[in-house]
Amino acid sequence: MAAVSQLQRQFIEYTTSLYNEGYLDDQFTQLQKLQDESNPEFVVEVVSLFFEDSEKLLNNLATALQQKIVDYKQVDSHVHQFKGSSSSIGAQRVTNVCVHFRNYCEEKNLDGCLRCLQQVKHEYILVRNKLEALFRLEQQILQAGGSIPMME
Amino acid sequence: MCKKLVQMMQGKIWMSTNSQGYIQSTSLVLRFQIQQTFNRPMFDLTNFIDQPKSNSIFRGLQVILADDDGVNRMVTKKLLEKLGCQVTTVSSGFECLSSLGPTMSPFHVVILDLHMPEMDGFEVATRIRKFRSRNRPLIIALTASAEEQVWERCLQVGMNGVIRKPVLLRGLEIELRTVLQRAGERLSS
Repeated sequence: MAAVSQLQRQFIEYTTSLYNEGYLDDQFTQLQKLQDESNPEFVVEVVSLFFEDSEKLLNNLATALQQKIVDYKQVDSHVHQFKGSSSSIGAQRVTNVCVHFRNYCEEKNLDGCLRCLQQVKHEYILVRNKLEALFRLEQQILQAGGSIPMME
Repeated sequence: MCKKLVQMMQGKIWMSTNSQGYIQSTSLVLRFQIQQTFNRPMFDLTNFIDQPKSNSIFRGLQVILADDDGVNRMVTKKLLEKLGCQVTTVSSGFECLSSLGPTMSPFHVVILDLHMPEMDGFEVATRIRKFRSRNRPLIIALTASAEEQVWERCLQVGMNGVIRKPVLLRGLEIELRTVLQRAGERLSS
């Protein structure tokens, strides 16, 4: 069982890398700052909701792009929502793909849209895995009796 | 006769005399029902305006937040609560309008996502301004757009402010404070 300080160091290193590699941005920091005693599970709750909604959005996008006649307005509407929710929680790379995705929707470019769908799915899965790893680290620290370091 | 009237009002009336038997004072006790204030007039907002730079300015501010995205709703609500606001959330323009109702408006501020399906923020604001002639809640738009035309259109439909998404605490605080202060200036002019 790793010592608390070792886990905390791991946590700081991991979090820093997530910011440096652009997986997370300031919005995520803000989320963490919003968490307090009255709502100690806030970040996990919001992120879990994001995961749920994102999976539905990805399915809807796949379905919409498989139609014989693609309704680009509908596709754009889904991407717009994905862009909004991902930017709210700081999932920067997902948001960035959504920006490009919207451009392809405007151009009614099916190939571009399909490529973006793959890309956004990929980025989503990456950030989901990384956040889950981060939460696991937090749990380990708490179980070892330590406190989560505050990132600035 | 006084006694009869007071008794009909379910009150009490009595005279007290001093030691020499002269009437010294009359006491009257009447019971009244406290009226519910349904319509909060605009001047209620003055409570929120002339405060020094602290977040007590927002304490008790009743806000209704309309955004169709669950994640955004959760985050924006928490930000508003952090500032001291009391927040009610709805997920559509329709829900927003029914919560405001034609006669009752317990909300001081309406925060509207511009891009909602079925009824967008512009339409909601237009309808609010049409119905709510006596009580005018302050309306603030939420949008990811930085376009001048979008912001101008917000003002045209009678909105009081715009906040860019993704929402940051500081940006929210500044715009809310500005909108409240401008409202206060209008009142005192």
